[in-house]
Amino acid sequence: MRLPKLKTLQSRIFLFFFLLLLVTQIGNVLITSTLGLGIVNRQIAAELATGQRVFVQIIEQNTTQLGQGARVLAADFGFRDAVASNDQNTLSSALENQGERFQADLMSFVSLKGSSITYVRGRATVLAGLDYPWLFDQARQTGAESVIKQIDGVLYHLIAAPVSTPLPVGWVVTGFRIDNNFAKKIASITNTEVSFVSPQATRDWRIYASTLSREPLSALVQTLNSGHLTSRVLSDVHTSRGDYLSLPTPLASSPGQTALVILQKSRDAALAPFISLRNRLLAVGVIGLLLSAIVGMLISRNVTRSIQALAGYARNLAKGDYSATPVITGQNEIADLAHAFDHMRTEISAREAHILDLAYRDTLTGLPNRAMFQDRLQQAIHTARREGQSLTIMLIDLDRFRLVNDTLGHPIGDLLLQEVAKRLRATLHRGSDTVVRLGGDEFAILLPTTDLDHAAILARTLLTALEKPMTLDGQVIDMRGSIGLASSPAHGGDIETLMRCADVAMYQAKRNGSGYAVYDARYDQNTLGRLSLMSELRHAVEQNQLTLYYQPKVDLKDGSHYAAEALVRWIHPDRGFIPPNDFIPFAEQTGYIKAITRWVLNEGVRQCAEWIRLELVVDISINISARDLMNADLPDYFAEVLQLHGCPAERICLEITESAIFDDPGNALDNLQRLNTIGCKLSIDDYGTGYSSLAYLKRLPVSELKIDRSFVQNMVNDVNDVVIVRSTIDLAHNLGLRVVAEGVETEAILKQLCVLGCDQAQGYFFSKPMPADKFLEWTSSTLKRDEIKIACAC
Amino acid sequence: MKARLPLSYPLSGITLFLIASLSAQAATLTLQIKSAAGVAVEDAVVYLMSPLTPRLPIRAPNGQIDQINKVFVPPVSVVQTGTRITFPNKDNIRHQVYSFSKAKKFEIKLYADTPAKPVLFDQPGYVAMGCNIHDNMIAHLLVVDTPYFALSDKRGVAQFVDVPPGDYSLIAWYYMRPDLDAAVTPLSLKTDQAQTLVIKTRPID
Repeated sequence: MRLPKLKTLQSRIFLFFFLLLLVTQIGNVLITSTLGLGIVNRQIAAELATGQRVFVQIIEQNTTQLGQGARVLAADFGFRDAVASNDQNTLSSALENQGERFQADLMSFVSLKGSSITYVRGRATVLAGLDYPWLFDQARQTGAESVIKQIDGVLYHLIAAPVSTPLPVGWVVTGFRIDNNFAKKIASITNTEVSFVSPQATRDWRIYASTLSREPLSALVQTLNSGHLTSRVLSDVHTSRGDYLSLPTPLASSPGQTALVILQKSRDAALAPFISLRNRLLAVGVIGLLLSAIVGMLISRNVTRSIQALAGYARNLAKGDYSATPVITGQNEIADLAHAFDHMRTEISAREAHILDLAYRDTLTGLPNRAMFQDRLQQAIHTARREGQSLTIMLIDLDRFRLVNDTLGHPIGDLLLQEVAKRLRATLHRGSDTVVRLGGDEFAILLPTTDLDHAAILARTLLTALEKPMTLDGQVIDMRGSIGLASSPAHGGDIETLMRCADVAMYQAKRNGSGYAVYDARYDQNTLGRLSLMSELRHAVEQNQLTLYYQPKVDLKDGSHYAAEALVRWIHPDRGFIPPNDFIPFAEQTGYIKAITRWVLNEGVRQCAEWIRLELVVDISINISARDLMNADLPDYFAEVLQLHGCPAERICLEITESAIFDDPGNALDNLQRLNTIGCKLSIDDYGTGYSSLAYLKRLPVSELKIDRSFVQNMVNDVNDVVIVRSTIDLAHNLGLRVVAEGVETEAILKQLCVLGCDQAQGYFFSKPMPADKFLEWTSSTLKRDEIKIACAC
Repeated sequence: MKARLPLSYPLSGITLFLIASLSAQAATLTLQIKSAAGVAVEDAVVYLMSPLTPRLPIRAPNGQIDQINKVFVPPVSVVQTGTRITFPNKDNIRHQVYSFSKAKKFEIKLYADTPAKPVLFDQPGYVAMGCNIHDNMIAHLLVVDTPYFALSDKRGVAQFVDVPPGDYSLIAWYYMRPDLDAAVTPLSLKTDQAQTLVIKTRPID
């Protein structure tokens, strides 16, 4: 049985009752023992007193009996005749005869003159010369005739009777031996231990007869010698076999001879019944204790088990398990408590459901929120992993939602979000698919058990659904979204990774304007890589690891004119050449592009000025990012750089992407005007990928348009692209803009561009971007120039 | 003629004062016997001895000691050697008279009335007699070798009559001191005399 710890309720209840019973039992035993001792003491005292009286009676009886014998002999005619005639032989035989008759141990005749003749039973010879003057003196003085006397080492009780013939002539003395047999006889009557003692000298008591065994006997002698026993006073004699309660009584003594009879009773023997009773009580007590321990343990365990069950149940509630109901047995207080717990369970469960609902729902759209999405995603990841399936998530971001909010107001923005939510929800048919609003204009969809191919189809459907014009509060609004897709386990096995992947994909889609994009590791540098990239990029700028490559922009109409687009390159001391795509988008995101742009501007302008000093006039194009365009300091810095290197402003052309202008048209336009004022040329880069209309471009102070490579490269295969390129060139020319074609890789494209009247061409067909010295070489070579002539001549 | 002779016996603690009165042929001797304390002593035996007296003829050949109410009557007697004494039993119970004394050892078996045979006391000396049935019955008898003896009465007076004048030993004996030798006083009796005899009895008396 395991011992319960003291802290538990069970052990306390158990211990309390156990101790209570223990104390009761101990009390029982103590009372029994104490009572027993008292009773025994009184009983022994009473028995000893009775024994004393009985002993006195017996002695008197003996005295009477023996006295009678003595008197009979003393009165016997023949005996007196023998005495009178002093016939010694007759006398001794008469004494012996009378002794036998009365069972006396000693018979003696003492004449008044003092001569004596004594017969002792068991002795062959007759003792002569015994004298008892003390006996007769005593008899004369007190009339007593009885005395205790030690004769020949044996203690006798002597009784004297006078002999007359008819005048007194002497005494007949009879005696009986006080020996062990006598002690035994007394003991059998009084039911006590009997000892006859007499001192040889002071503190030297001798035992003449006793019923005691050796040890208590020596204890008795010691006690006597120590003077601790007083006549007629009840005392204890301690022995190794327990205490003897002792009552000494003086015997009729003679001068110089005192004697005591000591009656004793063993207290232990008398206590034996009580000890037996006590032992039985103890046994009953121990059994009772054991029983009570077992029963107490069972009862307290029963109670505490119910409580522990409830405690376990409460812990389950704490863990959020509301399914189980507590086991309720009986109708006691525990059952009441269990009922209360059950009631509490249903209440908490309901409240928690409500709180959960609030916590997991977006109140604006009624869609689940980010928290819910993460929960479900977590679950779905587990399930997918277990089932070996894949799942896909989509991040949906509305394009230019801020514009709607800023221009039409938040109420319309809210309505728009609700409408988007409705459409997204309507598009999804599977119950397991979850649409949530993550916040702002961001939505997400969880598609468990869906692979990327199906997800892509669904993404297109969603985009279509979103693109339908919305009528909100009387306003018709066109809305587009960008969707990023990421899949588990393909792209990641945890929420954070998947969300980030989807986010990367979504931005990629937004950047591309492709509507949706599946995550591609190429878009992404992992966070740690990006962080190190950041510091390395900073390092690169400071340590001049960056360099500019120049790609020729070949004038298709005037071969003597040189132009080049300056493209930044990073030659990492360890990693070697790092493609711009690997750090430019990152720099744009982090804002570090500003530093890079400054460096590029400075380097480009310096190179330009250097070439001018080498009498080579090259128009250099430098890319300005959307962020740079927002920067109000840019025009001033640019002016400083021009001045620093002594470079004419008209030699520099700043290339700006369409989207850069439209992200913040106001600021952009302002900066463009100031740059234009400085005197540099402005060019629209990647034309055709954005939504800008030429009509709008007309208002910008630009002088050049660069057709995006996607159109240029497809011209050979797609007639539509040819149409686009042609009409773009025509329109640009009409607006007085120069047209540059990017991505010219084949002679066929070049020929077509020449036919279409394009002003400049740029691409691998002419040259890859190259370092400044190589570019210098290229300008002096005539080979390419000839090729161009040949191509355009056709 | 009366002469007062103060006599004192240092022997045996008995002091005898003797007052004798003698006639020419036969004198009368009267003795007054007292204890040392001056109290008259009853039943004291006094007798006169001379070398002639043992051969004198017996004066009173028969005597008698009765038993009345379990008591010997008289309790003290004095007789001349050769006297026969009968022990008449006057009670309605029987007695068994005995003696272990050296002077006369006898036993009269249980009897009633007067035993057939009287007991002859033919030796001088003290005879203590008892009854074997009744321990308290004691009779003291002094047998003397002379016809001249007397027993003091209640007044302590003992009187000898018809005693021829001559030289005698006056002997006194008291039954309470039978163990002691008799007190002997030489006495020359010529005429009637009266004397006072003092007997020192036991202290306990």
